[in-house]
Order: sequence, then structure tokens, then C-alpha cells
Amino acid sequence: MEHWVEGMRDSFFRSLLSEAKKNRDIVLIVADTGAICHDEFKEKLSDQYINIGIAEQNMIGVAAGLAISGKIVYVYAIVPFATMRCYEQIRVDLCCMKLPVNIVGIGAGFDYATLGATHHGTEDISLMRSLPNMTIYSPADSLTASLLAKPNRQQIGPKYIRLDRTGFPLIYNNKEDIDFSKGFSVLGKGKDLYIIATGRMVYAALQVAERLAAKSIDVGVIDLFRIKPFNQEMIWNVVKKTKRIVTLEEHFLTGGIGSAIAEMVATKKNAPILRSIGIPNQFCGIYGERKYLQKWCKLDVNGITKNIKEWVKENL
Amino acid sequence: MKDKIVKGKNLSSEKVSEFKKLAKWVRKKILEMAVGAGAGHIAPSFSCVEILVAIYYSGFLRINQKDSKLENRDRFILSKGHAAPALYAILADKGFFPLSDLDRFAKEGSHLGCHPEDSTPGIEIFTGSLGHGLPVGAGLALSAKLDKKRYLVAALLGDGECHEGSVWEAAMFAAQYQLNNLLAIIDHNGLSATGVLKNYLGVEPLKKKWESFGWDAVLVDGHSFEELFSVLKFASSRSSNKPLVIIALTTKGKGISFMENNPIWHYRVPKGEELEIARKELNLVNKEV
Repeated sequence: MEHWVEGMRDSFFRSLLSEAKKNRDIVLIVADTGAICHDEFKEKLSDQYINIGIAEQNMIGVAAGLAISGKIVYVYAIVPFATMRCYEQIRVDLCCMKLPVNIVGIGAGFDYATLGATHHGTEDISLMRSLPNMTIYSPADSLTASLLAKPNRQQIGPKYIRLDRTGFPLIYNNKEDIDFSKGFSVLGKGKDLYIIATGRMVYAALQVAERLAAKSIDVGVIDLFRIKPFNQEMIWNVVKKTKRIVTLEEHFLTGGIGSAIAEMVATKKNAPILRSIGIPNQFCGIYGERKYLQKWCKLDVNGITKNIKEWVKENL
Repeated sequence: MKDKIVKGKNLSSEKVSEFKKLAKWVRKKILEMAVGAGAGHIAPSFSCVEILVAIYYSGFLRINQKDSKLENRDRFILSKGHAAPALYAILADKGFFPLSDLDRFAKEGSHLGCHPEDSTPGIEIFTGSLGHGLPVGAGLALSAKLDKKRYLVAALLGDGECHEGSVWEAAMFAAQYQLNNLLAIIDHNGLSATGVLKNYLGVEPLKKKWESFGWDAVLVDGHSFEELFSVLKFASSRSSNKPLVIIALTTKGKGISFMENNPIWHYRVPKGEELEIARKELNLVNKEV
């Protein structure tokens, strides 16, 4: 599938551009942040494209005003700026008023590795998860991301979409394989344990599962692409028969999907034991490419495999 | 210091005294609500009573209480949301909800709290946190432009609220997009929750600041109906491409002598002797509160 050698960002905005050509109510607001197809957006749909400048608080407020008037608004910036710089605007203008604005954050986890902690997306899931009326999507590949660009007229409250600049190899071959009503996909069943992963960590989880299979550990993988609302009942039905659950995310261990699963497990009797794998709650303070930073906090395939192998051995 | 634009005397003295009476009634309701609930921002509400009366009773704001979501209505945003009691009294008087709702202000199960929520008829947006009204108002004004609609958007801000960076982000944006259908009104009483602005973070020269951000700016007496009616008439008929700010000079706590210009009354409800004085100054007999 040649088309998908592009990352999530370009797939997402290519899809949004084609939607916006059909639906003139769609408005894209960017906070001085680009993407390849934005030029076409700006040129062909100039009434539907706003570069609001480096002013994220105003970006959310203006988006709210447009959404109240029936516009389908997408706002776009790098994760920390799209979520944290304007957090209280998201809370009051979008969540309190249940406005269906789409917040698109680029740069999940260490995606912008060498730009340092200011540009890392390591707290966004935690922050967005605590807001009432918020929906959170964290796609694992470019196909999922492109489908998330389609507007949903039934949407109540804002939607946060956490994108990665990478997005291939694809996790899914066909869009029919992604059940958006469920919010997660079981990519393989496992007798010994399930890895519940989100974003590009799903691809890592599949590689880890393959390696552990070679060591006779039967691992299932779940792609949790909708983090909120969290489909607790259906996920529990999948994992309750296993002995162990591992959560895997490129996000701080505090408040992310590890916390969401822990909140579920804490309410269940005879629940599987849980190991959360993610970024420790500290700013990395060192520089390097993304792979280097992942290795630094043992979020690379080797590190994750070793971590799980040892944990399984300790908890036979 | 006053602008030419507000010199017109197109309001009869009978009308002025009628609106003064109305303003007094609004102040009375504010005091009743706050005393009844033991909560609410009396002094910040008193500061903008004449401004709100002018906005809602001069014919400036084209709204319909029978259909509060009418598509082409003008939008008013109380960005200084803590003045909600003043707005509630006016909306109730206009018939957006029953007057008896005011008696339940901030009490158990009431839909009227110390800050306005968009679920209340006549309230456009959720405010209470400062610095939100102008950005959202700019979005509403832009929407009108995009859809070629002719409604106006007016937002009432506090002067202390102008400390918020988001106000100036929106100010820049509104000028860039020539949102001449957007009006900001600043309740310029010089005080905030804890002090006198000029003593800790001054906002002057306020008019020049707005002008340098690309806005038309007018300075008026925020307690004079003649000036307020006149400037609102100007606001709805002008031909500039720029957004307009009306800087209304006001007195925080206006109407009760011991509250006037005293920051401690930002969020305090009078009790005992203070309450007696307040009632007396608003010409209320005890049983009315």
C-alpha cells in the first residue's frame, strides 16, 4: 500500500482536506504549525483555513465561538501547546460548553525528541483524561489517523486526537478492521498475558509479542485507540481470563493508559496482575533521536521484551 | 478626555430618570440575591449596572426573550462573569426566566450561580474565568463574517481582566480579521479583587493600548445613561473596519458609599449594621431584603 508510506499527520490532513472540500463548514485553525498539505488548504480553501499565530489560548476561544455557530472546527499545534498552553480554555470553552471542537496534537511522546522536554508529549493523555465531556483518540497507524479526520455530526464535547509523525508500517490493512464504536482492537489473543498499548507503541507491542512467542510466552495485543470514553466493560471481557496485563504507552506513567487500566483492575475481584510500562515521571534532560530516548527509558523493543520476560518469570 | 461621539443629548430627562429607577431596582435585586445566598460579587456587579441597562434597554442589542437562540440575534457575553447577578436581574426582567428564580440565586439546586452558564436562557457563553469572553466573542464575530450574517457581538470585560494575555491575543486577532462586528466594553473601575490596579499592575494607558492593537476606542462615563446610549448608537451605526472598544469609566461598588472604591468589597456580603446602611442608601426598607 504505497499511499501509506506517509505518517499520521499527512494522512490525517490529506483526509481532512478532502472532507473540507465537500463540507464548507469545516474550519482548520493552526497555531503557526505546518503540515505538507496545509499549503493546499490555504490556497484552495482560504475561507476555511486560519493561521491564528502563536496564540493557543485565543485559538481555543475562537474555535469555541465558531463551533457555537455551527462550524466544524479543527485546531492544530504540537502536543504540549495544543493541550497544556490552553488547558483552561479547553476546560471552560470546550468541555463546560460541550462544544464539538477537534483538538489535533502532533508529536506523541518523544516524537519531537531532539527538541527537548518543551516539545515532548508526555502528559497530554493524563490531562485530557481528567476533563469531563472530552473524547481522546490515540491512533496506532496512518490509516486510523486518516479515518479520525472525518467529522462526526453527533459529537458532543471536544475530541483530542494525539498524532504521531510516523504511522507506518500499518497496523490495519482495511478500515473495516477498525471498530470505532468499540474504541479498541484485539490484534491477537494471548493465553499468558495481554499488552494493552496505544499510539505507535502498538507496533512495538506486536514486535514484543513475536519475540516473547519465541520464548513460549503467549501474548495478546490490544490497540487502545480510544482512551476516553474508556470501554471498560468490553476490555475487561477480553482480559479477565488472562493472568497478566501489561500497559504500554509513550507517555508518563502517571495518569496515562496505565492509570486507566489500573483504575479498572482496582475495581475487579480476582483481577490479573498489572505492569505499566511508559516514561518515568521525569524530564529526560538528555538529547538524542527518538530511538535513543526510548532506549533511555527502556521503551524500545529490547527493553520492553526484557522487562516483561523478567516480570513473567517473577510471577509464574 | 471625553470623545466627541458621546456628546449627543438624544435621551430625554424623563427617560434618564426612568433608567435610573431601573438601575436602582437592579442594584436592589443584586443585594437581595447576595444577602439571600450569602454569596456573590456585589461591588463588581454594581460597577456595571448602567452599562448593562444601556445594552439591554437602549434597543442596541437585537434579541428576543421568546426565542433566545434566534440565529440572527446579537450576542452579548459577560466576560467578567462575576457580575452575573446584575445580568440575571436584567434577563429576568426581560422575561428570559421567571423573576422568582432570582430568589433562588446560588442556593441548592438553582440554575443561577455566581458565574453564568450557557444553559441559562439568555446567557451565550460559560464565563467566570477571566480572559475567555473576547476570544470566544471573536470566534462568534468571525462566524458572522464567514456566513455573511449581520449580528453584532459585544463582550463586557473588567479592567483587571485586561491583565490576561488571552485578551490581547484576541485583540490582535480581531484587528487582523477586521471584526468590526465585535465590540468590547471595559468596565474600567480601576480595582480588582485585592487592590488598586495602578498600585500593583497598572493597565494605563488603556485607550492607547487598544488603539495600538488596531481598535477604535471611545472613552465614556460608565454611569451616564446619556453617554452610554449615545455611544451604543454610534457602535451600531459606524462604518469603520476596526473592532470597537468602549472604555467605560466606572466606580466599583457604585451606589453604596462604603463599598465605593474599596477593594475589600470585591467578594463580601454586608451584614448587620453595614447591611442597614446599604439598604438605606438604596432606599430599601428592611422587609425588602
